[in-house]
Amino acid sequence: MKKPFNIKKNLVKLAAVPLLISAALPLRAATSAVELAPCYAKHLSDRVQCGTLSQPLSDEKQDQKIDIHFVVIPAIKPLYPQEAILAFAGGPGQSATSIAANFERILKYARENRDIILVDQRGTGKSNLLQCGLDDLASQFAVDDTLLGLDFYKEDTIECKEKLATDLSDYTTPAAAKDFDAVRKALGYSKLHLYGGSYGTRIALEYMRQFPDSVASAVLDGLAPSNQSLLAIGGAIEDSLNALFKQCQSDQKCAQAYPNLAQRWQSLLTQVEQTPLKVSVLHPRTSQPLDMTMTKSKLYGAIRMALYAHPSRVLIPLAISEASKGNVLPLVGMMAPNEDGMDLALGMHQAIVCGEDWARLSGADKEKYSKNYIGKTMVEGLDITCPIWDVKPVPDSYYDPVESDIPTLLLSGGLDPATPAKWAEVAMEKLTNATHLVAPTATHIVASQSCANKLIAKFYDEKAVGDFDTSCLQEDTRKQFFMNINGPASIADKE
Amino acid sequence: MMKLISILFKKEVLDASRDKRSVMAGLYYCIGAPILMCVLFTVMFKQMASPEALKITIKNAHNAPNLVQFLASKEIEHGEGEEVKAITLEISDDYQVNMTQGKSATVFIIADKSEQKLRASINRLERNLMLYNSEVASLRLVARGIDPTIARAIDVQTHDQATPTSKGGFVLGIATLSIIISLFYAAMGMAIDSSAGERERNSLQLLLSHPISTTHIVLAKVGAIAGFSIIALILTTVVSKFAYNMVPWEMMGFTVIIDFTFIVTAILIGLPIALMSASLLIFISFLAKSFKEAQSYVAMALFIPVMMSMATTYDIATDIMQWMPIAAQQNAMIEIIKGNAIPVTQLLLSSAVTLGLFAIFTYLSSRMLKSEKVVFGL
Repeated sequence: MKKPFNIKKNLVKLAAVPLLISAALPLRAATSAVELAPCYAKHLSDRVQCGTLSQPLSDEKQDQKIDIHFVVIPAIKPLYPQEAILAFAGGPGQSATSIAANFERILKYARENRDIILVDQRGTGKSNLLQCGLDDLASQFAVDDTLLGLDFYKEDTIECKEKLATDLSDYTTPAAAKDFDAVRKALGYSKLHLYGGSYGTRIALEYMRQFPDSVASAVLDGLAPSNQSLLAIGGAIEDSLNALFKQCQSDQKCAQAYPNLAQRWQSLLTQVEQTPLKVSVLHPRTSQPLDMTMTKSKLYGAIRMALYAHPSRVLIPLAISEASKGNVLPLVGMMAPNEDGMDLALGMHQAIVCGEDWARLSGADKEKYSKNYIGKTMVEGLDITCPIWDVKPVPDSYYDPVESDIPTLLLSGGLDPATPAKWAEVAMEKLTNATHLVAPTATHIVASQSCANKLIAKFYDEKAVGDFDTSCLQEDTRKQFFMNINGPASIADKE
Repeated sequence: MMKLISILFKKEVLDASRDKRSVMAGLYYCIGAPILMCVLFTVMFKQMASPEALKITIKNAHNAPNLVQFLASKEIEHGEGEEVKAITLEISDDYQVNMTQGKSATVFIIADKSEQKLRASINRLERNLMLYNSEVASLRLVARGIDPTIARAIDVQTHDQATPTSKGGFVLGIATLSIIISLFYAAMGMAIDSSAGERERNSLQLLLSHPISTTHIVLAKVGAIAGFSIIALILTTVVSKFAYNMVPWEMMGFTVIIDFTFIVTAILIGLPIALMSASLLIFISFLAKSFKEAQSYVAMALFIPVMMSMATTYDIATDIMQWMPIAAQQNAMIEIIKGNAIPVTQLLLSSAVTLGLFAIFTYLSSRMLKSEKVVFGL
């Protein structure tokens, strides 16, 4: 039976932390001890190698095995056959192998000389996927989540837990790190260069902590370290949105077309909070008539997801302005691609968020993170779901900042709505050989939207930022806002 | 008998080594050809590839600031001075009005498409304008409450069977061509010298006056020349191995790796060709009446194996050529570099034919040496 769905429930299930690698938008010398078969990854035309490695579930459960799936994208010209790049996906819950094409694009220059290894972290992709179903778009649109009580979330979580029938304690970051080194060993590489994006930086840092001898260098893009709670994301969202309002305000045409945007946003939120906007719309793909109840959580959720990338940010002023006039179509269009929960493995996501972030929350923390809407929603949701999941908290030492002298490059986007630059400062507390570069106008995942992909390749070669030119990160990558439904142009431009 | 041949063989090697010029000419080819090829490839790739930062002329940029910014993010920008490519992007005057009203706004690309060096850059500009098209179109749909995925009716996913090494198809053809040619050209001077040259120096009669069969003499000559050809082949492949590493293949998205296994298999595959080539060269040289005539005949005759190899390189009549001697062997070499399975049947058959030709040419030469007309060049 399909239950009514709403964004709020989605927020709870996903703990509202889709720290995604942006999908918005592209002869081995090491001797392998594991069988590899030629295969293809989604949207990547190059032939790659696929393999599976059987790993114990944990040190105590040696006899219980989990199959870890991985992919090797061969280098174009393998100058360093003993080295490879290991790329970690975000989420938590994203499957690294299913976004191989994104990694190939981000690491295009680095791949010229080194293979890329992508491993589905346990609980994601083809490594024992821990997933529960989401409701379809029609139910997502229709439900009035303000009317749903606590019991609803409990039931939903229990149902998912029963379906998975797995102890999520084996799926935390420190538990998963060993799989990655087992894959490295099986493939026969002596040293790895790491690339982690978003949540991927957390598992990359854990890998650096547990297997320092396997790492030659690391690039961490959009930091979410273990000693930084993911629940602080609410603040980052607000900062990113405010920066957008400011950008519109300072642009003469945008300010003229969308005056007082920040105030309009606030009054729109208040308005839908009091009375959700009930309209009938057409299904974004099938054109079937649908009922839409625009509640605060749906409104906030749609705008929030649009903040992740510049191409979608340009629609935000138009969407807010139209919604305050009662036209929710731009919001409907923005919500459509998120129907499937961004393909995150919900169970694995919960393992991380409950076992690592929620477990450690003090009363004061909860109060602090609840100061903004998203943070508050998350804390409330996790307080209901985490006790049901009952994930064993990770050891305290896991929250110690990672100590390392491995050459590390940290990248942050100044407009990132998920992993703000200050989180990188938290991460590098005890990284003695680290450089932090901020691209002021980049959003989430700097490498996918700036010249950082070239810098990464250089960094892997030289293992230091040294004297190379990083000024290109300063370039303004923002796009012009939509001035009307047809685009950024306005007739006023024609003088 | 073996002893006899080996003495004759030593005599031939000694003779050849005294002719420093022929030896050097061969060596020049082996060292020079791969290096020259690599230099040419490097220059060609750099010219063919679009520069990372592409500078073009953009007219009326102020009409489409968003488009200009989009192109800039793809490293296509308006520039001044020498590095600017002869490509103009002109934005129409009514761009803004049309864009606002949802009509197609026109931009013009003005460039000479026959200009080889510009082609990659023009394609890149066109490709990025298409990307801008779909970005704006998607956002227009989203703003109307429509999922932009519906505009992508089919999701085309290509499964390219190539590997980074096999993508260099044409380059591999040329690389193996140079190896095959080394078997014919490196020893050319030596072959003419040991046959037509020996006759002109009047030492051939002296050799024939000994109680040895002409077959022995021919076999010894062929052996010495083929040995030199194999040395040439080894030298060519070893020089290639190092020279190829310097070429920026990755710019074109592939690589060429000459490894030790390849060198060894190339020698094995090349051996029958070397024997055939040597016997052919000697046969033709004896056929000629003088040294000079031999040079012209040999040059003409070598046109045939070179054409066979060319056909493979340019993939002409592959169905038939893959069974032909020389072409089949070259094809096998290409497959080895690509990391594919060797076409064993074709290789064995053509090697057998090649050895057969060697036997025929050797037999014909030894018969010719029995004729006084040939021995005295009458």
